Amino acid sequence: MLRSTLSKVLNGSKLSPNLVCVTFRASSDVAKKPEKIEVFIDDQPVLVDPGTTVLQAAAQVGVEIPRFCYHERLAVAGNCRMCLVEVEKSPKPVAACAMPVMKGWRIKTNSDMTKKAREGVMEFLLVNHPLDCPICDQGGECDLQDQSMAFGSDRSRFTDIQFSGKRAVEDKDLGPLIKTVMTRCIHCTRCIRFASEVAGIDDLGTTGRGSDMQIGTYVEKFFMSELSGNVIDLCPVGALTSKPYSFTARPWEIRKIDSIDVFDAVGSNIVVSTRTNEVLRILPRTNEEINEEWLADKSRFAYDGLKRQRLITPMLRDNKNQLTPVDWEAALLTVGKVLQQAGPNVAAIAGGMADAETLVAVKDLLNRLGSELTCTEHVFPMDGSGTDLRSSYLLNNKISGVEEADAVLLIGTNPRFEAPLLNSRLRKTYLHNEAEIAVIGPKVDLTYDYHHLGTSAKAINDVANGSSPFSKVLKNAKKPLVIIGADLLKRSDGAAILSAAQSLAAQATNKPEGWKVLNVLHKVASQVAALDIGYTPGVDKIREAKPKVLFLIGADEGAINKEDLPSDCFIIYQGHHGDQGACIADAILPGAAYTEKQATYVNTEGRAQQTLVAVSPPGQAKEDWKIVRAVSEIIGMKLPYDDINEIRSRLNEVAPHLIRYGDVEGANYFKQASQLLQEKKSVDDSPIDVKIKDLQDYFMTDAISRASPTMAKCVQAVLKQKESKY
Amino acid sequence: MDELKIGTLKGIDKYGNKYYENNRFFYGRNRWIEYAPKYGTDYDASQVPAEWYGWLHYKTDLTPDKDPARPKYKWMVDHTENLSGFSGAYIPYSTTRPKIEAWVPPKSS
Repeated sequence: MLRSTLSKVLNGSKLSPNLVCVTFRASSDVAKKPEKIEVFIDDQPVLVDPGTTVLQAAAQVGVEIPRFCYHERLAVAGNCRMCLVEVEKSPKPVAACAMPVMKGWRIKTNSDMTKKAREGVMEFLLVNHPLDCPICDQGGECDLQDQSMAFGSDRSRFTDIQFSGKRAVEDKDLGPLIKTVMTRCIHCTRCIRFASEVAGIDDLGTTGRGSDMQIGTYVEKFFMSELSGNVIDLCPVGALTSKPYSFTARPWEIRKIDSIDVFDAVGSNIVVSTRTNEVLRILPRTNEEINEEWLADKSRFAYDGLKRQRLITPMLRDNKNQLTPVDWEAALLTVGKVLQQAGPNVAAIAGGMADAETLVAVKDLLNRLGSELTCTEHVFPMDGSGTDLRSSYLLNNKISGVEEADAVLLIGTNPRFEAPLLNSRLRKTYLHNEAEIAVIGPKVDLTYDYHHLGTSAKAINDVANGSSPFSKVLKNAKKPLVIIGADLLKRSDGAAILSAAQSLAAQATNKPEGWKVLNVLHKVASQVAALDIGYTPGVDKIREAKPKVLFLIGADEGAINKEDLPSDCFIIYQGHHGDQGACIADAILPGAAYTEKQATYVNTEGRAQQTLVAVSPPGQAKEDWKIVRAVSEIIGMKLPYDDINEIRSRLNEVAPHLIRYGDVEGANYFKQASQLLQEKKSVDDSPIDVKIKDLQDYFMTDAISRASPTMAKCVQAVLKQKESKY
Repeated sequence: MDELKIGTLKGIDKYGNKYYENNRFFYGRNRWIEYAPKYGTDYDASQVPAEWYGWLHYKTDLTPDKDPARPKYKWMVDHTENLSGFSGAYIPYSTTRPKIEAWVPPKSS
């Protein structure tokens, strides 16, 4: 594995500069900071740490050296030679990305020698690169195009007009997401390094050498990773492009709107590319705190689900028990009448993609009607302090904090598929920080080695009372983490599990100030906001209360079905996709999906972020909180907000952090939470299960991804690959 | 048409349009149509049925009733005027798929 080779390198004499930096960082508490050394980039002096490469030193003074293979989040390969620069008194140009600077070096990034070296490299690259830019999907956002314009020679020596000599390579089949045109490949090996370092899948590699070199999977095999889409962004040329987006648009025709992803609770930052009111693709947006520059496949490719199975007109159940389209007036009047008749016998269930504005509007409406039954689909134990103390339901130590951890205990969660970007951080800390990771729960492939402490919930107690071999590791760790899957707390002994985890977290004593051991990983984007606003987790209360009207806000997971409700219960579904919730509804109010509204979401670490309007809602669909506001006016209990600013000031009244976009509102009171939750019941012995175990379970988990043909293809491809003998 | 002219009435078609001829006018002005009063000011050239079209445009000198060679089959469709811009206008169905596919509620018993 990558880690063993890494440590071998670290222990050996040959120290790669990049890795030295890592070890320095890891042991920086004791080691004295080494002196800075001075180098000159184009005669500008700059002070850098020893071990800095020429390329990084140049970046510090704002000089960008062209590169293809170098990527700051991947290991240094140094094989494209594009970053050659002249160093004074050195007879040959040096590769800036791999060469650590020495004291007093004078680096010339714009000298004749450098320019000539770049032109030479570019010429060699272009000798075997097809001239198919007009039909290439990378056209307009291609590093090779840009750099050949900027650094290439201004005239050609290419004389092979008979087209006899250009290299041609067979395309590889990497699955339904990545399209390959391998003739365009310039062998930067970024995809290989990403696959083995970040994604943890050692499938990609090179065969042959010289002009016979090929990138591929050796045997015909799909690139089975939940992070596979990132190699499309990494590829500097058009060798790896997006299959669903192929031949759709050019980068200069599309509008780019910054937004937030809602397919998991991580809240990745995304850019939504649209043209003619259609979402064409979704790309990641760099945010070091959350997703770095990666994006999970479901978030990246499930956007075609936004165009299918949509609710575009209000519907009411007619006397033949059939849902028929009606206009807004009829739908709102009917819903208003039903709500007025029901009085306080109203309940609401919030689904996984509900935004904070809608949640607060629905809660205000129900409270005005005299009901307190606002629930979320996903369960959280209410014993003890329940959801009153935020620290008991947040990923307290933040997503980026995972990188510093040196011992991690995962309880009842499969972060690889519940939060792929958190898992990539865990893998990073495993690789670079030598973190010990242990899992209580089913044995799943997490892309790194871990200690499996058993599938039974009893194993938590074993770790707590010291009978497990991992308890020593956890106790001695400087920065330990306990991550609990929110799904696990659904069980009847959920409170006991949470209590056990809390006491386990309290045992870690030699942690630094501000380090928070206990972390809860949620699965859906809306949960934290809903709990912050004051929704009750779980629908048990609704089952008991037997409401006359049930308001579903995008609740599609089937937490409640018709049998649980009285037969005369009127179900209102408000959402954007026709799925389980819409099937059982008596009235449907079409809402907007996350690309169609300006809405607030709070991710699992408690960070409020907002989506922006990329396209308009289809058909007669409206922004969700506006629908609730309209209903409130019809029943004569007008909610006091008319535009987005006014509802956000209402959010501010409820919980001020909901509109502090981009900031994490941390939580504390761990001790108090665990004191309040002195659970008498003990953890029972039943095995812990996670819902998503394998890649095929990952792709279709919510209303949007279930409607997506691309995601369906992914599931098929994974199942097919599972049958293959490779 | 729209002017004061004297001519012989050569015939009336089934829609009530009257066709006149006066060879004292020069060629091109000597045959004309008086649209039926029901059209009012909404007349246009597409209201001339096919059988009179040829006479009016000098393809033939024989009016329909004087021309025995004209084919007459019972499957021949009645003349329709051009309805572009009116409610009866021809609109081809769209062959492009809608950008958004709506959810169709399942049939419940």
